[in-house]
Amino acid sequence: MAVNYVPETLEEALLLRKAEKAVPLAGGTDIMVQHRRAQGTAPNPGFPVMVISGLKELKGIRKLEDGSVEIMALATAAEIASSDIVPWHVRKAASGMGAIALRNTATIGGNIGNASPKGDLPQPLILLDAEVVLASFDGERRMLLDDFILGSKKTALADDEIIKSVIIPPHDFTYMFYRKIGMRKANAISKLSLSAACSVKDGIISDFRASSGAAGPKVIRSREAESMIIRRPVDELADIVPDFLDAWDHAISPHAMPKYRRHTTARMLTYFLEAIVNGAEPGVIGEEEK
Amino acid sequence: MLRKIVFSVNGSRVVFAGNPLTRLIDVLRDELKLTGVKEGCGEGECGACSIIKDGKLVTSCIIPVGACEGSEIYTIEGIRDTEKGKCLVDAFRDGGAVQCGFCIPGMVMAAYALLSANPNPDENAIRMAISGNICRCTGYDLIVDSIRLAAERGGDLWQ
Ligand SMILES: Cc1cc2nc3c(=O)[nH]c(=O)nc-3n(C[C@H](O)[C@H](O)[C@H](O)COP(=O)(O)OP(=O)(O)OC[C@H]3O[C@@H](n4cnc5c(N)ncnc54)[C@H](O)[C@@H]3O)c2cc1C
Ligand code: FES
Ligand code: FES
Repeated sequence: MAVNYVPETLEEALLLRKAEKAVPLAGGTDIMVQHRRAQGTAPNPGFPVMVISGLKELKGIRKLEDGSVEIMALATAAEIASSDIVPWHVRKAASGMGAIALRNTATIGGNIGNASPKGDLPQPLILLDAEVVLASFDGERRMLLDDFILGSKKTALADDEIIKSVIIPPHDFTYMFYRKIGMRKANAISKLSLSAACSVKDGIISDFRASSGAAGPKVIRSREAESMIIRRPVDELADIVPDFLDAWDHAISPHAMPKYRRHTTARMLTYFLEAIVNGAEPGVIGEEEK
Repeated sequence: MLRKIVFSVNGSRVVFAGNPLTRLIDVLRDELKLTGVKEGCGEGECGACSIIKDGKLVTSCIIPVGACEGSEIYTIEGIRDTEKGKCLVDAFRDGGAVQCGFCIPGMVMAAYALLSANPNPDENAIRMAISGNICRCTGYDLIVDSIRLAAERGGDLWQ
């Protein structure tokens, strides 16, 4: 059986990662379940694991000088959901993960590291152009989360790296939308989700974005579709909607129940866009803002 | 090479030296004989193994003991004789919330975590708080009523 470790500092963890290729375990809610064996026996993943849950260097959520928010890798879904500096879309997604005990354990680093198409956090993070900070014994690098997640369960994490944090740049949206549609657990991929955001300045749409979760092997954003709307007057939005929906439908590639997923995605986008066309009050579309 | 993991369970110090991926539930049940912690699904879905770790409700079947360094852990055995614990256990009994009883330790831990954070929860908050705890017998209504009863009877106890 491979040896497992409990490093006491980030430095020690990075050394173990480099020397032993030890795989990080943060909350363990994926690893412990994926490698579970019989009652009374420890999971045996077949590779060395290091339990990083105690590393103080990887805890907390803070605002940076430029207004960005840095969420450290070990921040739990519960901490993210209850933080008042975390952007709304991300809080919303975190508060919808599992039940309370799961939210108290599941971390953002694990959600991203697992890169499951049904993971809830990448979708709003990619909407917000979040970056991941990757640390290795030899230094750090930063990249867009959208580039870091390569596909279903595939990331660009090098075998000597760990995810240190996620940085979300500041933004100022006029309208925001988030919805997750839970389906029966029996489905291969259990949830379809959509985030959208729009900024309107002096009658012009200055920013528009959308991201779809569980509508393809990874989170989908389409700059091409978004660019159809950006810099156009709100007055013209109604005319653009059909072409935009069409472009979005081409961008997504749902695997299970594709018809249903395409239809539901279009309905959610239409709902958001119509609210803007109809001059809705700024804020969250589709629910009371909490 | 093996690092010792030191933590506390129900107020007593525990030193663990072994595979850090050992499930916390196995340490609690097999080594510490705290068999009030039940194993249902073994994968975080049913809540039977719920305990309180550093003030927060977690499922002990998917937590490796290596994640417990310095933690304060409470199981049903550690709370049932406290004032709050008695209040909950009495309310569960008087409210008729218990049938086979398998889910009850986990339910009581979830209710304990809820009332400690929110002394006066409405029905919706109670249902949310136990949404990760599966009961195959009661249909939940009597459990929800019993938690409400514990909140009312406990009053200041939960403040
Ligand atoms: C009952 C249950 C319900 C769930 N419900 C949901 C849900 O509603 N939504 C959802 O999105 N997920 C859900 N999950 C899945 C899981 O909880 C999440 O993916 C969670 O965020 C994983 O985080 P973790 O810290 O527990 O991961 P771990 O199991 O510790 O790690 C997961 C993966 O990420 C890697 N990793 C962890 N931390 C780092 C790091 N710092 N650097 C590099 N790699 C790292 C690990 O090596 C591993 O490959 C559920 C799981 C269970 C058991
Ligand atoms: S036994 Fe732990 S959640 Fe079911
Ligand atoms: S009382 Fe039997 S499972 Fe709840």
